Amino acid sequence: MKNKKPFKIQQNIIMLLASVVLLGAFSLVNPNLIKDKYMILSMIQNFAPYAIMGLGVTFVIATGGIDLSLGTVTIASAVLAGKLYTEGTIPLWATIPVMLVIGTLCGLLNGLMVAKLKIPAFIATLGTMMVSRGLSALIAGVPNIFFPTGTWYNKTFSSLSVGDVSAIPVGMFWVLGLMLICMYLMYKNKIGRYILAIGSNEEATRLSGINTDNYKIFAYTFAGLFCGIAAIFYSAAFPTISCATGNGMELDAIAGVYIGGTSSAGGVASVSGSVIGAALLVVIRSGLNMVLAKLGINLNSAYVTYVLTGIIVVVAILLDIIKTNNQNKVKIEKVEEAAKAEAPKA
Amino acid sequence: MGETILQMQGIQKYFSGVHALKGVDFELKAGEVHALMGENGAGKSTLIKVLCGIHKRDGGSVTLFGQDVNFHNIAESQAAGISVIHQELNMMNHLTVAQNMFIGREPKKGIMIDDSRMIREAKALFDRIGVKIDPTVKLGELTVGKQQMVEIAKAVSRDCKLLVLDEPTAALTQPEVEELFKIMNDLRDKGIGMIYISHRMDEINRISDRVTVMRDGEYVGTVNTADVTKDDIVKMMVGRVIMGDKKAASTVPADAPVVLEVKNLNAGKAVKNVSFQLHRGEILGFAGLMGAGRTEVARALYGADPRQTGEIYINGKPVNIKTPEQAVKNGICYLSEDRKRYGLMLGKSVSENSAIASLDKFIKNGWIDDKEIAKVAAETNGLLRTKTPSMEQLLKNLSGGNQQKVIIARWLMKDCDIFIFDEPTRGIDVGAKSEMYTLMEDLAAKGKSVIMISSELAEIQRLSDRVIVMCEGRITGELDIADATQEEIMKYATMRD
Repeated sequence: MKNKKPFKIQQNIIMLLASVVLLGAFSLVNPNLIKDKYMILSMIQNFAPYAIMGLGVTFVIATGGIDLSLGTVTIASAVLAGKLYTEGTIPLWATIPVMLVIGTLCGLLNGLMVAKLKIPAFIATLGTMMVSRGLSALIAGVPNIFFPTGTWYNKTFSSLSVGDVSAIPVGMFWVLGLMLICMYLMYKNKIGRYILAIGSNEEATRLSGINTDNYKIFAYTFAGLFCGIAAIFYSAAFPTISCATGNGMELDAIAGVYIGGTSSAGGVASVSGSVIGAALLVVIRSGLNMVLAKLGINLNSAYVTYVLTGIIVVVAILLDIIKTNNQNKVKIEKVEEAAKAEAPKA
Repeated sequence: MGETILQMQGIQKYFSGVHALKGVDFELKAGEVHALMGENGAGKSTLIKVLCGIHKRDGGSVTLFGQDVNFHNIAESQAAGISVIHQELNMMNHLTVAQNMFIGREPKKGIMIDDSRMIREAKALFDRIGVKIDPTVKLGELTVGKQQMVEIAKAVSRDCKLLVLDEPTAALTQPEVEELFKIMNDLRDKGIGMIYISHRMDEINRISDRVTVMRDGEYVGTVNTADVTKDDIVKMMVGRVIMGDKKAASTVPADAPVVLEVKNLNAGKAVKNVSFQLHRGEILGFAGLMGAGRTEVARALYGADPRQTGEIYINGKPVNIKTPEQAVKNGICYLSEDRKRYGLMLGKSVSENSAIASLDKFIKNGWIDDKEIAKVAAETNGLLRTKTPSMEQLLKNLSGGNQQKVIIARWLMKDCDIFIFDEPTRGIDVGAKSEMYTLMEDLAAKGKSVIMISSELAEIQRLSDRVIVMCEGRITGELDIADATQEEIMKYATMRD
């Protein structure tokens, strides 16, 4: 603990500081970014679904796996639940359990393919990504699905357009709550402990008498459930959902997880880092837009965002690798000192 | 023997926590076979790795052909004429023999690889060293022995002057060993210096000119093979008597109940109709040559690999063990021979590695009690005398023997009744080895039952109450320890169909 904790916190603080510094820098260029409370709210609206997807997929990545279907499963859950609602089949409240169930089922499917059928995670979830996108659009049968605006639903999960109550960024609290649950599961519950063990050495974990298949299935199912949750926040914030969206969302969410310090090889996970990583990316996404507009630069901010995100992901992981190497050196030196100190006694 | 081609002096090497080489000297002449001997963990492999540039030395000097050298990687040492045939062959099974031999230096015809020339040259090489191998077959289709010949041919083709053979005979059949020795003699006549690492005394006497012995990372001495007896070498290797004598008689009471019974176990190609009983408080030794199917019996029994038939009874009751999870629930634990792959979580702490099997014990109201884990892990590892700066130390920074102890701690914390130790002292140092013996004896004395798979006969004789000998997947003999002489065990171990 003594060796590990400060490191993790340190990495998080760096990322958090980076987000704040970036936000500050962007605001200097275009003060509207923080002066306009709607801007802040919009950032948090944007942030919530990505942070939630990131939280879920952190468990998958911790096993050493990957889930590429996050984005399309999130949109598919929202589209299908929205379709049922707009047709009058279910009331608004029922869209919530429907989204959760669809997300969970997709995750379960991923988990079964990976754990039981031994299909490589990249391929299994690539399949789910394509099928969920195509199938949900086919079932919807219309290009766009409309969720209501200005209802309790928006207030609870998004709350942009309703008077002064909207000044409270509710999405933030939801994300923090979910983060705490995930931290408990990852660090203080045996589920997380076993998932991290699987990521470290799956066969050793299995031979230690642990049903590794079940925990892998859990990880994917959990990520699916969180896609369902992300769908709720997404549909509350962006009531007009195009069946064509969702592509690339998973990569943004996964990038946030890597930036946050979770190892792509598995075995090491930072739950709070995933949230901070998502925050950093959202600051860049929203901030760049405003800055470019203010400076009158005629570039598509989405593309600039891609360039910047790509660089940040690689640099963040490079820093992590350098730091881990240095840390190992220090540790080995310490062990060697201890051994040398012990040598005369022997 | 010609002039000295290699001179290593005062080699020092530190590894995370272990002083692995404490001033080792070594000398090799042209046309000499120089045996390098020592117990597991004595530092032989480390010395070789320092020589060929895999490890950087922390002190001492290496002189090759009269020049000071300090290789930084294998490519450099290969260029200087050193080739190492490793215990575990690092080759590509899906490529052909010729492709393996010429990997990285394929003959070209324009921009195309000249396959026919490659095959021709491979054939010529095999002729030169006198082996019959078809260069066009996939490497994976050859036996381990033949694969080794390919490696040797590859080394010869690289114009190697110094060949290191790291336990080359461990997996070979007798005729293959003969073939290998013939090749080695030829190479000797050609003036190639060879460093030969082996545990087999009789081979050392036959093939080597000189023997250098290492113990605990220290240089013990170098002698002419002709001047010494087997016992002299053993004395040098062991130093103090750590093996102890052969156990005279079983210490298990005649009425000790049967805790585990296996009937008609068949699994894959490696386990044929295996049945045996294990008693309370007994250490049951499984002897046999490499590949006799002992590990496969353990894995099938443990549910790690599927089995075709076989009933397992624990305390007389039939149990259904299809996964390691079920085995552990029934009080069986398995410590694999290949710790790195099947036992260790190298990136996790000593604490986490110790507690992974018994986590359920440390959960209070749904929360893992990490303080309690650290406390119990420290106690258990303290009993085993695991050397680690703290419970939070990552396992990858511990030595092999201490890593093994952490895995034993894992199962002690789980409180299993039946321990399957698969090569428990492989790759650990001499001191830790004798501790491992005491530990197994303590377990048995406390009424636990131990299955010990070991390829070291002395280890089998020292610890077992009863010995089961396997050959080619079958149990060929069962001996009371009183009758288990080396000759008797070897007789059954080579009893092929």
